[in-house]
Amino acid sequence: MGNRPSYPGTPRWVKVSGIIAIVLVVLVVIMLLTGHGPGRHTSSVDAGSQVVFSGVVDEHSPAEVRRG
Amino acid sequence: MIMAPRLRKFSLAAHIALSVGWIGAVAGYIALDVAAATSRNAKTLRACYLAMELIAWYVIVPLALASLLTGLVMSLGTKWGLFRHYWVLISLLLTIIATVVLLVETQTISYFATIAADPATSSDDLQSLGSTLVHSVGGTVVLCVILVLNVYKPRGMTRYGWRKQHVRKPGPGHKEEL
Repeated sequence: MGNRPSYPGTPRWVKVSGIIAIVLVVLVVIMLLTGHGPGRHTSSVDAGSQVVFSGVVDEHSPAEVRRG
Repeated sequence: MIMAPRLRKFSLAAHIALSVGWIGAVAGYIALDVAAATSRNAKTLRACYLAMELIAWYVIVPLALASLLTGLVMSLGTKWGLFRHYWVLISLLLTIIATVVLLVETQTISYFATIAADPATSSDDLQSLGSTLVHSVGGTVVLCVILVLNVYKPRGMTRYGWRKQHVRKPGPGHKEEL
């Protein structure tokens, strides 16, 4: 009694997945910081107008959009 | 609290249907997304953006939330637990991340749809909107990773799970549940 086996440690697949995830996150952050992030709309339509349109979006439920 | 076998099977069936349905709904969304990214026809673009919004809000978001909920029920209602095995924990984290990104992305989709619904929006403006392909394809990859984790259930207990397992030894009638 009281002879509990010691924890075998984190499996290798978790460590490898963690490293891949960290690399991916770093890549995405670098892309966002250098202006190569996703979303063509952010470059072609200026950010200011998107904020204005977002205000309009709040007033339009999806059901209302359907009539368009 | 471990669920009774009948309830567990019903919950599992619901969880599989909702999760696979989520992947299928995103696949349908991607078809529209590709059309929005490549088409130069104003009518096609309008139709795509409006349909994308409807699919996102009325199919993908409900399926994502329901899948997350049934996943929580499945893990808490079976011996797997929520924090005991790495594959469950990682699946949970990925599902939460995918759902949060989806909810943020629906704002962009609604923005596109609002502009597309405006008859005054020109064809050039519609083309300049672009697509959400990076997110939809990236989301599909994440969902497939979760699917693989759930099917293969790779070995590996967390420190918490290890401690819990060795506090209470399973009896001789202990069986795999999933």
